[in-house]
Amino acid sequence: MLVEYPKPKWTEKFLLLDMFEGLKTTFRQLFFEKKVTVRYPEERLEPADRFRGMFRFSYDRCIACKLCAVACPIDIIYIDVHDEQREVDGKMKKLKVLDRYDIDVKRCMFCALCEEACPTKPKSIWLTTKTYELASYDRNDLYFNMQELEYWDDRPRYTGLPEEEAPKQIEGAE
Amino acid sequence: MINPWMRFLVWPLVKFLIAFVIVQVIVAAMNWIERRLLGLIQARLGPNRAGQEFALFGKRMPIPWGLGQIIADPIKFLLKEDIVPSSAEKVAYFLGPMLPLIPAFLVFCLIPYGPPPSFVITHTNVGLLLILALTSTGVYGIILGGWASNNKYSLMGGLRSAAQMVSYEVPFGLSIVGVLMLCGSFDLVKIVEYQEMHVWNLFPQLVGAFIFLVAMNAENNRTPFDLPEAESELVAGYHTEYSAMKFAFFMLAEYSAMTVNCCLMVALFFGGWSIGIGGYGITTAGLQALGIWGGLLGAIIFITKVMFFMMVYIWFRATFPRFRFDQLMDLGWKWMIPLALANIFVTGIVVLALGEAKKNYYWGEIVMSVIGAATIALTLFLLFRGSRPAAAKVMHASRVSEA
Repeated sequence: MLVEYPKPKWTEKFLLLDMFEGLKTTFRQLFFEKKVTVRYPEERLEPADRFRGMFRFSYDRCIACKLCAVACPIDIIYIDVHDEQREVDGKMKKLKVLDRYDIDVKRCMFCALCEEACPTKPKSIWLTTKTYELASYDRNDLYFNMQELEYWDDRPRYTGLPEEEAPKQIEGAE
Repeated sequence: MINPWMRFLVWPLVKFLIAFVIVQVIVAAMNWIERRLLGLIQARLGPNRAGQEFALFGKRMPIPWGLGQIIADPIKFLLKEDIVPSSAEKVAYFLGPMLPLIPAFLVFCLIPYGPPPSFVITHTNVGLLLILALTSTGVYGIILGGWASNNKYSLMGGLRSAAQMVSYEVPFGLSIVGVLMLCGSFDLVKIVEYQEMHVWNLFPQLVGAFIFLVAMNAENNRTPFDLPEAESELVAGYHTEYSAMKFAFFMLAEYSAMTVNCCLMVALFFGGWSIGIGGYGITTAGLQALGIWGGLLGAIIFITKVMFFMMVYIWFRATFPRFRFDQLMDLGWKWMIPLALANIFVTGIVVLALGEAKKNYYWGEIVMSVIGAATIALTLFLLFRGSRPAAAKVMHASRVSEA
């Protein structure tokens, strides 16, 4: 790229205007420009609509086909199903009923292959949620069952350091 | 009459200790101020959390704006492990951080903080000379520390620092000569009194003030002349191998030297503790008439001006990129020294030709002041006139893809 720079006038050279221009820029930045820092626990940014965050799971949409568990490359989706006779539209039908749908999120890499494999429309497991506060003080806290996966958004948000940092009892992992 | 012991030993010591403590608080606060201002200039916030959870006797009292950083940093330095490299030259390694501290602290008893006699600790008629002599010894500690660390980066940093200090000591000293010729004294009190009776030396000695500003940045190894501690080339320069309190001593010496240079700048070019022109305004006589409160007011004015120049250091650091070493030497020897000599020459001619004839009515100085003020005004006008300089024109944008 060939660039032709304008010739500086003698006043600009003599009075070091370029340097003062720089000083002016930093001065303006110091007093008049908006700061971009977000003070995290007190202020939060709303993620974009395409943000890939935590799992969500819908019990109503799920047909218990186990395709997501098959697609999972590290096998961290645990599904238990039992068959049930149930009346649908006046006919007796054999249905699969979901007993257990757990994801061991502590090992998850959020590859979204389970979402890709899900045959229902809309997907019954998907990752485009706006939840990103996944940190935990105990690795066993990151094992979620289907109730937790379904109602993730109701979980309390991160508010800063806890009062005491004693390790919690293992929950959810049976 | 006051006991001579009190007059010559106790009172100067007490005054020195008070001034020392105030200056050290400023130096400690500079750490926070620098990080905060740099942050604000770079569209960040800087350290704003330390002290939020501060509690005294079980009562929570948060320290605002992250000011707790001022206390937190020294505590951290004191509690850190002091690592001494096994191959270091032990005696020199320990002397390294101590040596620059002594001159940096001693100088504070020579600076006039307010109107005499109460606010001047040591009133000598060669005060300026003594300050210059003491501050220039600060480089020994840097060289010694750099060499004793037995580390090539430290050594390079120390050598660069030495070369830089030697080159910039010359324009630093020469830029003051113009002021000395105008005021006719090495006594900082006399220089300040001269300025309030005439005009701030900034205007007749604009070139001198500019050279002093550049040279004082170079003397203190501050950006854009921070080659001795250029982190992209030399890790951290001469204090690479220093940790904990020894590192803090280097920082303390650096910031103390910065404060001294700012004090000199204010006393020499910006009217010290007075705000006045031609004998009107806040003058020494007026402040002395108010007694101790006038003195305090003078000291506050002085420290405000000093703090402004400390901000200027940070402002420069945030604005200018670092020089290359040969560019630094070029600037020092080929531009600053000839410019300072030319300034001395012109000032000398003006003082001789126009000053001696009419002692009371200093035409030469008025002419120089008008020229200086006009230069400042022209710079500000060109800077704020609104129209940007023409942008670079792209001749062949697609040259790369053609090839």
